[in-house]
Amino acid sequence: MSDPAGRRAPDDRRHRWRTAFDGLAFLAVLAGSGWLLFAGAGELHYNWQWYRVAQYLGRFEGDEFWAGPLLHGLGVTLELTGWSLSLTVAFGLAAALLRRSASWTGHALARVYVEIVRNTPMLVQLYLVYFVLAPILDMDRFAAAVLALALFEGAFAAEIFRAGIEAIPRGQWEAGRALGLSSYAIYRRVILPQAIRLVLPPLTGLAVSLIKHSALVSVIAVADLTTEGRNLIADTFMTFELWFTVAALYLALTTGLSMLAGWLERRLPLRGVGHG
Amino acid sequence: MLAVLFGLLGYVLHRAQSHFHYNWDWRLIPGYFVRHDPERGWILNLLGQGFLATVRLALWGGLLAAAIGGVMGLCRVSRSLFLRLLGRTYVELVRNTPPLVFIFIFYFFLGGQLMPVLDVENRIAEASPETLAVLALLFGRPELLPNFLSGLVCLALFEGAYVAEIVRAGIESIPRGQWEGAAALGLPPRPTLAKIILPQALRAVVPPLAGQFISLIKDSALISLISIQELTFAGTELAVSSGRVFEVWLTVAALYFLLCFGLARLFRRLEGRLVRHRGR
Repeated sequence: MSDPAGRRAPDDRRHRWRTAFDGLAFLAVLAGSGWLLFAGAGELHYNWQWYRVAQYLGRFEGDEFWAGPLLHGLGVTLELTGWSLSLTVAFGLAAALLRRSASWTGHALARVYVEIVRNTPMLVQLYLVYFVLAPILDMDRFAAAVLALALFEGAFAAEIFRAGIEAIPRGQWEAGRALGLSSYAIYRRVILPQAIRLVLPPLTGLAVSLIKHSALVSVIAVADLTTEGRNLIADTFMTFELWFTVAALYLALTTGLSMLAGWLERRLPLRGVGHG
Repeated sequence: MLAVLFGLLGYVLHRAQSHFHYNWDWRLIPGYFVRHDPERGWILNLLGQGFLATVRLALWGGLLAAAIGGVMGLCRVSRSLFLRLLGRTYVELVRNTPPLVFIFIFYFFLGGQLMPVLDVENRIAEASPETLAVLALLFGRPELLPNFLSGLVCLALFEGAYVAEIVRAGIESIPRGQWEGAAALGLPPRPTLAKIILPQALRAVVPPLAGQFISLIKDSALISLISIQELTFAGTELAVSSGRVFEVWLTVAALYFLLCFGLARLFRRLEGRLVRHRGR
């Protein structure tokens, strides 16, 4: 509600009536757009074949479950996300530490990396890695995809880590130095364990965006969910059904992760005091 | 750490030299921007046209996304549950599907139906030369206009969801006291929003909007996948037809970098000036 003080809340019954009305109107709009979709497809003489979609997800033969191409694609997407997420954390942490280091070269390198990645489109980076770097280093497409995704998200992770590290009070540094710890030991034992808690919620957000960006690798024909969807569409011409299924699968994945992120945010105390 | 980095860099360069006898040839690249035509003089070539198309997409897409996002952002903070639900559905649907999947769905579904409704092709065929010249200046080659428009709407719908969130955050950042003060003075909700809240929210909204504009330029590269002829599309075409893969992709990346980084610097400077101005 944008104007809490706008008007005295009318009596309860009117309010409830209004809520019900709005809910119904919303449902009507949803139904209307659904109908438009249907009518539009009807005009194209589109033949809806939802019953054929299930077999591409997976099927039971006796007691055994066989994953269909879409689930395989989902698996590849998850695998891709897992690998690149771990690399992302490595790149991000390295860039954040370099950026904070006293060395001028390190600082400049990290700065250049972050600026280049943040100011060019992901698609162009993917092409650069796949067409320029991959032939030089003899990488296959999966490795190229992982590297491109990790390089891209790493720049964003770097900023997250930097913010997390800088949020730790200076006193922690000073105390560490007073105890005679080296700066490696201070990072390893004092700063990073505390920073992790601050960094975890935005990192899950990053994982969500990583899943979404991983759809891009279908451009270089890595067999992820989007690629499988595109291939099936080319085979079966069930454009709408399959795209909606693919979108729903992504939606389920990202919404699940978002909820996890929300849960983590509520769960973890903001300034954890503990050994770490 | 630095030693490792330089080691890796050295290794890549070494491999590029020894395993992969690529002969660099940058001389062709300027010719892809402008070329000399015996009849028409100097004209823009693929990369030049692509760059212009990207700039046009960014400008029009930015305006359209601001309009969509503004309306949807207002919906999200509206008193009516119906409007809130509507805004929420739009924002969540767009933000939780991958851009690529959104673009494909849009392209196959809406793109095919939107253009016949607007009847763009026939209108262009009937348009006078003067209109065509104006259109060419604003949107690029008229024969590509339907294609350009569907890309534009797609991009704007996509970015609109992010703009809507920025607008909502801006409005919600205004302290409740402002609403209460206006109510105490007897202002109804709507004038309160228009005269008191929005002017203040505008200031909070401008910096993130500038960032979103840069995102829009970057996301416009995705539109190339549905054959909208902008910079990345031109890059793909050139890389394939000329075979100068490395040079073309490095150039395309550099162009995007110049555009986005330049804009980012510009926005930062303007923002600094705004802050100083307000401080006085």
